[in-house]
Amino acid sequence: MTTLGIAVGTAIGIALLLWVVVLIRQDRLYAGYGVIFIVGTIAAIAVLIVPSWLRAATAASVALMPEPSLSLVAIVLLTFLVVYVFIQISVLANRVMRLTQELAIRTAQREQPSGRPSEERR
Amino acid sequence: MDTSTASPHRTLVAIPAYNEAATIRNVVERVRLNLPDCDLVVVNDGSTDATDAVLAGSGATVVAHLCNLGYGRAIQTAVLYAERADYDRLVTLDADGQHDPAQVRPLLAEFDGGQWDLLIGSRYVVSRSYGGVPFGRRLGMQLFSSLVGLMTGRRVYDTTSGLKIIGRQTFKALRNWQFIDFHAEALVYLMRLGFRIGEAPITVEERHHGTTMYSALSHIKYPLKTTLMVVLGLIEASLTRRRMS
Repeated sequence: MTTLGIAVGTAIGIALLLWVVVLIRQDRLYAGYGVIFIVGTIAAIAVLIVPSWLRAATAASVALMPEPSLSLVAIVLLTFLVVYVFIQISVLANRVMRLTQELAIRTAQREQPSGRPSEERR
Repeated sequence: MDTSTASPHRTLVAIPAYNEAATIRNVVERVRLNLPDCDLVVVNDGSTDATDAVLAGSGATVVAHLCNLGYGRAIQTAVLYAERADYDRLVTLDADGQHDPAQVRPLLAEFDGGQWDLLIGSRYVVSRSYGGVPFGRRLGMQLFSSLVGLMTGRRVYDTTSGLKIIGRQTFKALRNWQFIDFHAEALVYLMRLGFRIGEAPITVEERHHGTTMYSALSHIKYPLKTTLMVVLGLIEASLTRRRMS
């Protein structure tokens, strides 16, 4: 891979890392999913910047796929697509979670009419 | 110190429970016996066993999640409940009977001293070692204890203890922080916000029923996730402080 290719690959990796961290902070991506992307991206960046690892990865990918560079583009696009899918799942999961919590609290409060169980002791 | 005197503060004891039918009734009865002046709520976190049936008629208020949300969210539900019902402090206990409710009273007395915003019932604060703990867990505990020390300048020896006394002053922070799991990351977040977190010694019994909430995969995923959340907690606390100043 050329130096420019390594630089572009690293830049894409860093952009993905920052995006994932911001998404977790904003509660739009579940941290458990985020960890998978972060570890994967750090590993990919490490492969790109360590020459011996890059040589080994290139040899392995050439052995597996006839057009490794095109496959790389597809993998990057697929990664961003998967992050997007996980965002949607996380957003939906958060809504379900808030609904579940709210429903649980309101039901419990309804069963305790005052909502303050210790009031009767006052 | 006389620890039997009832406190003027309103206290809610919250027990998050997931498939704890074998132990929950006994835990509820022991809480009722040892802490009669405290209100009791059980957060049934979508149990699929007979937990719900066992709790019926136990005298505890049951806040029932329709599906399993996990430990951190069950605690967050308890925090929301305590905040809305205007409690001064929230005591969390494990549902598996590991914690003796009789040990809560001295902890409450210590908490009433006003030195802490959150007090952890700690298994390791006296010995400061993790002897007897399986190797994997010991490694995790050391890692997170050191990480909390590194991030806050103050070590917490038992970051995963389920026995905590949480003051109402921390409720808003715990409610607003969306990615709570209530272990090391929550402690770092609160400490970096300026809340005072202390540890008081307790002893725990071995779990006799049920299984731990940690699966084989979670032994790899949990440390990674928690480390990430600790770092994010640090960032979030710094941003919150900046916004407030």
